[in-house]
Amino acid sequence: MKKRLLAVALCCAVNGTAFGADIRINGFASIVAGKATDDNMKLFDYEDDISFSNESMVALQITSDLGDGLSATGQLVARGNEDYDAEFAWAYISYDVSDNLRISAGRMRLPLFRYSDFIEVGYAYRWVRPPTSVYSLSTPAPTGISVLYTSTLGSWDSAIQAVYGRAEGDFKAITNKDDGKLNDITGLNWTLSKDWLTLRASYMVGETTISLNNSASLVGLSTLLKTYGLQEELNKLAIDKDDGTFLGLGFAIDYNNFLLDGEYTEIEAKDSLLPEQSQYYVSVGYRMQDWTVHLTYEGNDDKHPDSRFNKVPATITLANGATVPLSTDPSNPNAPLVRNLLNSALKATHVDTSTLTIGARYDFHPSAAFKIDWSRQDNDLTNQDNDVIAVAIDLVF
Amino acid sequence: MKKYFAACMFLAISVSAQAEVTVIVNPSNGATIDKDAIAKIYLGKTKSFSDGTKVNAVGLNSGSTVDEFTANVLGKSSSQYKAYWSKLIFTGKGTPPEALDSEQAVIDFVAANADAIGYVDSSKVTGNVKVVGKF
Repeated sequence: MKKRLLAVALCCAVNGTAFGADIRINGFASIVAGKATDDNMKLFDYEDDISFSNESMVALQITSDLGDGLSATGQLVARGNEDYDAEFAWAYISYDVSDNLRISAGRMRLPLFRYSDFIEVGYAYRWVRPPTSVYSLSTPAPTGISVLYTSTLGSWDSAIQAVYGRAEGDFKAITNKDDGKLNDITGLNWTLSKDWLTLRASYMVGETTISLNNSASLVGLSTLLKTYGLQEELNKLAIDKDDGTFLGLGFAIDYNNFLLDGEYTEIEAKDSLLPEQSQYYVSVGYRMQDWTVHLTYEGNDDKHPDSRFNKVPATITLANGATVPLSTDPSNPNAPLVRNLLNSALKATHVDTSTLTIGARYDFHPSAAFKIDWSRQDNDLTNQDNDVIAVAIDLVF
Repeated sequence: MKKYFAACMFLAISVSAQAEVTVIVNPSNGATIDKDAIAKIYLGKTKSFSDGTKVNAVGLNSGSTVDEFTANVLGKSSSQYKAYWSKLIFTGKGTPPEALDSEQAVIDFVAANADAIGYVDSSKVTGNVKVVGKF
C-alpha cells in the first residue's frame, strides 16, 4: 500500500512536469548510532547494545509549484525505528494570499515547540536530538488548516501562526503506544526576531482522549471503579474528552558565535491521571568556524499535590449495615485496597529527571554535518542514572 | 620557515581579496537595494523590491563565491545559511533562491529577467547586468 502511494506520488511528480508545474525535490537524512551504558534501563530508546536504526531516518519532500501562489507538498519519511516503512508525515496545499499571508491545509506537524516543525531535520540544529525532556510529547500529525502571517514591527521580524485541526493515532502517554485523539485543536504561536535575538510563545488547546487499554493494570482498575460505582474517580482516571492545554515559551540568542537558548513548557490534561507537567532546557553553545560545541541542561517537574491521592474511601458500608474494605476482594482481608491501587497508578505517572548533554557539531561538507553527543540522565525518583553516547551524520539535499 | 609563513599569509590575503562578491540586477531595475535589503531577500523575509516588483532571486550551488556572499552579506556561514533554509523548506514556510550551476548562468539569468537579482565573483561581472553593491 505504502509502496503504491510512493509510486503514485512519483507518477504525479513526473506527470506534473508535463503540465508545466514547477517540481522541487528536497530531502534530509540522519544516520545515528548510539548506545546506553546501563544494561537494564533504556534511555532515548537505546539499550547497552549499539543501535543504528533507533534514531536514523530518511525523508523526501516533493513540492509542486502550481503558480499564482498555490503549491502542493508531500513529505515522505522513513524511520529506522519503524523498519524504514515510508509514510507521509506532511501532505498539504498552500496558498499565498499575499507576500505576508500563507494559508495551508492538509496534514502537518503540530507546531508546539520551537523545533517541533523541523524536529526530524537534524541538519537544522546543533544536537543529535533536541532536549528530550521538552521534546518528549509525541502526538500524531494533525489534519487541519494553518494561517501564517509574517510582518515587520519596527526592526523586529514577526511571524504569527494560527492552527486548527484534529489528530488521531498513536500517542506516547501511558505506554509507548496509546491510541488516542485530539479534537478541536486550536493554537496560536508568535515568533519575534531581531538581529541576534529570537522570542517565541505558543499556546494550544484540544479535547484530549487517550486509551488506557494498553496498560493491563489500568484496565483492571477502571473495571473495579466501575463495579463499585465510583464514577467520579473513574472520570478522574480516564483521559476521555478532557481539556488538554499546552503553553510553550522560548528564546534564542545567537551573538558573535555565542549561542544561548532555552524553552519552558507546561502541559495538562485536566481531570485525568496525567499530572500537570512542566519541562525546560537551557543550552549554551559556541561556534568556531566549522565546529560548534554545546552544553545543555534539561529537566522536568510534575505537580503531584496531595489532593490527588486517597480519593477513594478505604471501606464501604453494605446494605445490611456491615462495613467491609473497599478492595479487589472484600471477602479477603489481605486483598489490595482500591484506594492504594489508584494512588499507585497516579504515582506511576510521576516523572522527575534531569539530563546533561555535552556535544559537538562539525560541518564537514556544505550539505552534511557530523555530530557527537554524550548525555547523562538522572532519575530523581529512583536515584538511578544512565548515559547515552550517540554519533550522527545529518544531511540535507 | 618564516618566509614560507609570510608567503602563506600573503596567499591567504590575496585569495580573500580576490573573492569579492558583486550583487547584480537587471539593467532595467531602478529599485534602491542596499545590503540590508539584499539580506532580507536572500533570507526570504522580503519578496518584493522597493518598487513593489516581485523578486526572482538566484544563487549558486556551492563554492567560494557562496561562502563569501553568505559571510559578507548575510553574516552566516554557508552551512548556517543552508540550516536556516532547511527549517523553512521542510515546514512549508518558504522556498530558497534557486541555486544555479555557474556564475555565467547567474549573469545570463539576471540579464534576461527584469525581476532578477543574483551574485557573482566580482571578476565575472559583465556589462549585461547592473551592479548594486560589492561586498
